[in-house]
Amino acid sequence: MTTSRRSGTELREIDLFSSENPGGPDLGPVKSYLKSLLPSVSVKVLPPALRRIAGTRAEAIARRLAMARVKDIGAADQDFEPMFGEVEYELRTLAGKARLGGVVYDARKVAEAVVNATGQSSSLRSSAIVFTDRLISTYSRDDMRHHLRTVLCGFPSIISVPGIVEAPAKPREYYVLKQRMESEGASDLQLAELRASFRDRFIDHGDEGVVEVMKGLALQAVMYHLTLTPFCSDKNCRLFNAHWQEDLIKSQVRSKRLCVRHAAQLEALGKSPVLRWS
Amino acid sequence: MPIFDKSSESSVTRAIISQFAKDMEGFAETDVIIIGGGPSGLMAARDLALKKVKVLVVERNNYLGGGFWIGGFLMNTITVRAPAQKILDELDIKYKMYEKGLYVTPGPLACSKLIAAACEAGVSILNMAQFDDVVLREKNRVAGAVINWTPVSALPRQITCVDPVALESKLVIDATGHDAMVVKKLEERGLIKTPGFGAMWIEKSEDAVVEHSGFAHPGLVVVGMAVSTTFGLPRMGPTFGSMLLSGRQGARVAYDHLKKKRD
Repeated sequence: MTTSRRSGTELREIDLFSSENPGGPDLGPVKSYLKSLLPSVSVKVLPPALRRIAGTRAEAIARRLAMARVKDIGAADQDFEPMFGEVEYELRTLAGKARLGGVVYDARKVAEAVVNATGQSSSLRSSAIVFTDRLISTYSRDDMRHHLRTVLCGFPSIISVPGIVEAPAKPREYYVLKQRMESEGASDLQLAELRASFRDRFIDHGDEGVVEVMKGLALQAVMYHLTLTPFCSDKNCRLFNAHWQEDLIKSQVRSKRLCVRHAAQLEALGKSPVLRWS
Repeated sequence: MPIFDKSSESSVTRAIISQFAKDMEGFAETDVIIIGGGPSGLMAARDLALKKVKVLVVERNNYLGGGFWIGGFLMNTITVRAPAQKILDELDIKYKMYEKGLYVTPGPLACSKLIAAACEAGVSILNMAQFDDVVLREKNRVAGAVINWTPVSALPRQITCVDPVALESKLVIDATGHDAMVVKKLEERGLIKTPGFGAMWIEKSEDAVVEHSGFAHPGLVVVGMAVSTTFGLPRMGPTFGSMLLSGRQGARVAYDHLKKKRD
């Protein structure tokens, strides 16, 4: 592939694929947000990428997804024969007959399945951002284990909606107290009360903050497409790659802004959304 | 004037034997055998029987209901979260709202009503019998269960010749809880490899148990806590709403399969 600056490839359209589970968050606000930053780019909201696939193609993709499950968080590459039931479950999810949740998938393998399912365009004029209800992870060579992720920037980019709640770590005190209460045999109700006492310190499923975070993650995916450098080190910038919930809330829900450098960069990209990969 | 009509001991014995023999003959070949008579197994059994599917529940204890009689810390209040209270409505089980989305009901009431609902729907029950092995057919499809009386497992080692019997069925449902006994038997034979429990970083797992309720292997459906073991989902405590919904989901998958085979 030629470098973009030389070819001057311009981003023309962004496809936002909705997450799979019925009643999921509306992508309308995400579309409006991206449109406000990149007015000349067409932004479309599409149905889920991994849905309404039938026949033998569905079986092949179901098998890919079943093989994308992370069964050992300490193993970089997991090559295993999927169980019959795992493929059956994925077939039900592809047909819209089962909701997603509770299983962790290797983000890169999910991206491959998406390419396989949607036949993503090889043109860089189009960016695909796939929202999913799957939990996704990537393997880190730093500590030799998988970590849950909110976003995998790539072609396409994958954004995990439940990952917004589950991936960034909650405050340390929460985990310590939860562990202590569980060891003392706390009931579900008591644990729910503990969760409620940390209400402002992490985002929970269904919170309004989820959509704000989705905007920021979608922008990170777009920045990756345009510049290959999606993240910022400023905790007050929407491009900050938060590993803690409190940082996520700070950068995406409270600040909602870009740092000075990225605001200027986005302004320039808004006028001329040409890929700048060097 | 005596209260009861006259009957001899021999008549009572004959009545038990003849009726049980007749039942047992019917059990030899059924549509669905459900191993485990806890809440998920009974729910699946009841839903299938209501659709005229011939169902046999094999329960190793003399009582049915599994852990559904009591809630946490041996207290017999059962909690159910929405939308599972709709099943309580269906089964005519009275309950109270504890807070929005959370309902409470006495365990003995809920459990006995569920057992009654399954029996009234036409489910056959074989209690004090335990699962021993699977019956396998072409391509290792599960096609029945090998069972034996529960007390046999308590016999001294010297008594070895107490052979089991095999029952054939179109499908088997594993509702044996975290033990996942049928699935583990397939694993022993090298036909399936379960991944073990999932990572505990995920706090929500009940939905996953319900949604994964379905086929684990050709001819074998899993419901209830066995789903968690089979698919390596995060381990969870006894949430009865998800057990009822899991049983219903398993029944749906099983029924669709049987219907497709029939059509």
